[in-house]
Amino acid sequence: MSEESANGKALLDVRDVFKHFGGIQAVNGASFRVPPGSITALIGPNGAGKTTLFNVVTGFYRGDRGSVRFDGENVFRDAPYDIARKGMVRTFQITKSLAAMPVIDNMTLAAPEQPGERLQNVIFQPRAVRRRDREVHEQAIELLEIFNLAKLADDYAGTLSGGQRKLLELARALMARPKLLLLDEPMAGINPTLGRRLLDHMERLRREEGVTFLFIEHDMEVVMNHSDRVVVMAEGKVIAGGEPHEVRQDPKVIDAYLGGSVGSPGGGRGKK
Amino acid sequence: MRLAGDIPVAVTFTEFTQPEFWISVGLIAGIYTLVALGLQLNTGFTGIVNFGQAAFMAVGAYAMAILIVDVGINFWLALPLAILITMGFGVLIGLPALRLRADYFAIATIAMAEVVRVIAQNARGLTGGNQGFACAEDDASNCYFSTWRDLSNSINDFVESTFWSDPPSFFPLFLVVWLVVIIATVGMTYLQGSPWGRVLRAIREDEDAARALGKNTLRFKLQSLAISALLGSLGGAFLALNLSTIHPIVFEPLVTFFAFSVLILGGLANYKAVAVGAILFWFVLEGTRFIELPDPPFTETRIAALRLAITGGLLIGLMAFRPQGMFGKRQEMVLGE
Repeated sequence: MSEESANGKALLDVRDVFKHFGGIQAVNGASFRVPPGSITALIGPNGAGKTTLFNVVTGFYRGDRGSVRFDGENVFRDAPYDIARKGMVRTFQITKSLAAMPVIDNMTLAAPEQPGERLQNVIFQPRAVRRRDREVHEQAIELLEIFNLAKLADDYAGTLSGGQRKLLELARALMARPKLLLLDEPMAGINPTLGRRLLDHMERLRREEGVTFLFIEHDMEVVMNHSDRVVVMAEGKVIAGGEPHEVRQDPKVIDAYLGGSVGSPGGGRGKK
Repeated sequence: MRLAGDIPVAVTFTEFTQPEFWISVGLIAGIYTLVALGLQLNTGFTGIVNFGQAAFMAVGAYAMAILIVDVGINFWLALPLAILITMGFGVLIGLPALRLRADYFAIATIAMAEVVRVIAQNARGLTGGNQGFACAEDDASNCYFSTWRDLSNSINDFVESTFWSDPPSFFPLFLVVWLVVIIATVGMTYLQGSPWGRVLRAIREDEDAARALGKNTLRFKLQSLAISALLGSLGGAFLALNLSTIHPIVFEPLVTFFAFSVLILGGLANYKAVAVGAILFWFVLEGTRFIELPDPPFTETRIAALRLAITGGLLIGLMAFRPQGMFGKRQEMVLGE
């Protein structure tokens, strides 16, 4: 399985996670690890349970059983906001830009440790609130500049193009100071130029900030060229894991994509 | 205008020009501003549709009255206590109900409001039921409004001796209500501008996104509901002080829907708009009292119905030409979809 190659401690260690909806076993005992500092891709045919597993890992769904350890701590069934605060931040398959809020507010919202989010501080410690808010604002502008969105800071997020929204969502997630970023199909629905930029950002962030990435992706070219580990899911289980070239030759993976009734390789992008 | 040609339409100006009448309308508008400010916070800024505002008014009014008359607490202590009780009640309702999806939450709140009203009708020992609640049974001088009346009279004595020889009895309440409206509007605008307010707007836009960014959204929604309960209970208490008896019928769901009309007229996501919406709504609704039409076919009850129809027509017209209300931001409305 996927545990074999991880020498050091895993940043994320998912073990035997189960999740069912009524009679459907969406995740059926999935286990994998994400080594720190890696860019790990999670792939698999449609309906393999990737997004469901994402949701269980990040607390959005309550898993039936299993364990999820993040940074040495058990976070299985913790509340999503608790998990996010511990440094595991996710994005969504369909971007959730806060449309009727300006871009800058999307960014500043995400910053952690804001005393101004507590009413008693807003009322009794307005100075401390303002001080931190200024800091957060500066960080947000810096990040927006890196992502080429600074000009749009005061525009409503809803007026951005699909690709710009993906960039904003990534930038916003970074405001939350993540150790691990989980991206659900970051390349879906954006043009190749923007996709390229997004990938460059990921690689730079890993290099400069030490951010670890786990992302779901259907585009095999992206997966093979831009990830250093690949985890393959099929029918609710992790069937293979390793470096891209190993996975590519694994007969189980080829079987999952080509054999049986599962569907075509990389098929169905944008269909969900 | 065919109507004007065929049937003589007249407007009487006798009462129309009396300040007393308009101050009474202004007083009601002020009370509805407070009530609708809570809805602005809930619906306009947090995205939770609260159809139970009348219940918060009822709990505030009854709690205050019962604390004064039955428990024997001083008015000045009873009022803040009643507000705290209502806020606690809001949190208690919110804990299960806020876990529901938006539309189910709205249904739960309207049910809650009706439950409160029906309890007020039937728990006669506590609320006096449909007879209403005013004074202690054995002591006609021990009424919930006694302390306020004394203060009100002395304020009016001062007013008489300074700038107005003949103020209406409710003039002090009018002043107090609008003072509170100003404080509440400024206060809410300030809170909304804080990072706390930003989280509320994020919840309105997409609760899952807020949760994914580390925000405990239930906590914020509970706070939003509790503050709305605070504003609603203030409105309810003022309404009670304006009356000489508290009746359950005062807290019908219609009150909440009037407050929503106020909110929509003024515009969503703007606190200052609420007062303007309230003034417009009540001045139109009450102003139409002065339309006089010949008795057959226009009987008094028909005219009363017509007034609501005119107000409704105004609302529909506004929605057609200015769906964002007078001061709402159209862009936020369209993008919020």
